[in-house]
Amino acid sequence: MKAYLGIDVGSISTKGVVIDSKNAILASEYLWTEGDPMGAVRRLLKALASQLEGKDVQVAAVGTTGSARKLTGAMTDAQVVKNEITAHAIGTTSLYPDVRTIFEIGGQDSKIILVENGIVVDYAMNTLCAAGTGSFLSSQARRLGVQVEEFGEIALTSQHPTPIAARCTVFAESDLVHKAQIGHKKEDIIAGLCKAVVTNYLNNVGKGKKIAPPIVFQGGVSKNVGVKKAFEDATGFPVTVDPNGHLTGALGVAILARKSGKEQPFSFGVADMDFVTRGVECGKCSNRCEIICVYQNGRLIDSWGNRCENGAIRAAK
Amino acid sequence: MKIGIPRALLYYRYHTLWETFFEELGVETVISPPTNKGILDSGSIYAIDESCLPMKIFLGHVEWLIGRCDMILLPRIASLGRQGSACMRYQAAYDVARNAFRGRQIKLLDYNVDLRKNGGQIETFLSLGRAVGKKRAQSLHAYLAARQADKAVGTAELLHQQDLLRGDRCRILVVGHPYNVYDPYVGGPVLDCLRALNTVPIIADIVDRREALERSANISSTLPWAFNRQLVGAIDIYRRYVDGIVLMSTFPCGPDSLVNEIVVRRVRELPVLNLLIDGQEGSAGLETRLESFVDIIHFKREEDITLA
Repeated sequence: MKAYLGIDVGSISTKGVVIDSKNAILASEYLWTEGDPMGAVRRLLKALASQLEGKDVQVAAVGTTGSARKLTGAMTDAQVVKNEITAHAIGTTSLYPDVRTIFEIGGQDSKIILVENGIVVDYAMNTLCAAGTGSFLSSQARRLGVQVEEFGEIALTSQHPTPIAARCTVFAESDLVHKAQIGHKKEDIIAGLCKAVVTNYLNNVGKGKKIAPPIVFQGGVSKNVGVKKAFEDATGFPVTVDPNGHLTGALGVAILARKSGKEQPFSFGVADMDFVTRGVECGKCSNRCEIICVYQNGRLIDSWGNRCENGAIRAAK
Repeated sequence: MKIGIPRALLYYRYHTLWETFFEELGVETVISPPTNKGILDSGSIYAIDESCLPMKIFLGHVEWLIGRCDMILLPRIASLGRQGSACMRYQAAYDVARNAFRGRQIKLLDYNVDLRKNGGQIETFLSLGRAVGKKRAQSLHAYLAARQADKAVGTAELLHQQDLLRGDRCRILVVGHPYNVYDPYVGGPVLDCLRALNTVPIIADIVDRREALERSANISSTLPWAFNRQLVGAIDIYRRYVDGIVLMSTFPCGPDSLVNEIVVRRVRELPVLNLLIDGQEGSAGLETRLESFVDIIHFKREEDITLA
């Protein structure tokens, strides 16, 4: 049976799916990137291969997305390397064909995608600031001595969420410390934080956008029921969180790989190959670009990071 | 005598005028090289932390010129009369540079434009000629030649861009100050990326300036800044010919932060991408934003997005 592999390597987590020609998921895996995207991809491929063991499956095309999509694409010789916004939109509309609004909050970025008749019509992404994203929530959880996974459940127990300044991460943090010191309850502060994330999101990436139901909420932060509820309170619409929501990016790019028409048998044996990256500073002009070279078993397979042709390093094909 | 011209800020708008003027007068000029990391780094040392990226780049260029010329041309623009005012940076650039490099014994050549108080551009050039020891008649002649050269370049650019408006390729209007759009270190990667995504960038700065100023009122009639007015007018001129708009700004630009908001709210029929550029090293964020933006346009055009 022909199958298609989609890999989504984000800043925090790495996701992978294998689908058949009808977009049904044959295997899927979710693990932490732990700052080592290549290691994570290797572990991901091993896990997917073991799930598929004994089945007659041949991966015909590979797609990669997420912030490490280029690196992963080089490792797996992917047919499609696509940005995460398009990948998420394709993945979500395949699961929810009538979706109108997609909220997405990940580890380092947040975005909103507006869909009409299954076609993306507009999107926005946070600019230079990562306030209100997953990294912010997990650092605040650590400060409060709570596991970030429990955050949502604790938030739901609050009767009176504490108002927290949502504008800026730095100020939110000092506001939070202040509120704790003057005696606000922990669950109220946590609920306030969830609300702050939503207010921040709607006022920044969601600013000026027409939010219409059905709404799907995804990305790592969607696992937090406190944030989901805050979204429902703020918009007045029900918000759907798919149990496979974390996989939509990988699913979307697998679908794109299937639709690309480009096929080339892929072997999970890539996981056993030796991959090394090396950063070289190009000294040919005063831009001093940091060029990343990717080696497979000692052989240069790809490079990027040069701003001009002087720094181009040709891979031996 | 050698005049140094920093390749930053207003250079991109006035370089043909300046270069031709000095050439006609027989005065040698030296222009700093296109921005690179070295120039940005040295500019960042001399600028205050909160300064905008173009100002840091500007100081880097001035620094590069020190020791390589006898005088450095530094424009100071306060007001363009009825066209509007200029951002505080243009008014301050001269004094900021003079203060940042005090003790380095540099000689500055000022180029003051304040149409509320003085005469037109011609007065400015006559005084510039006086400063380099030329007679009034010589300066006048050089200025007229410079005007002609500038007009010729502008017309050629405009004709070339009008050619790009034909055909059914996907066109993206790039709206940004010339010192951002044309700087290979700032806007260069954006234009390269748009071309790599199989789109044709249309530059809002290349426009009939008078017409643009008039038509800016169709989007907003209350903008104070002349250069922003012109860009907004260009949006009104080009909106029928393009598939999307990229608003390219550098962090933290005051005028742009207001004007971009107005554009996003009032130009509803086209997808608009607000692209904020800082001195970041990585280009991943930029590529993600531009690629997904172009994908949306291709979706709309019902093209196969995997081709992009």
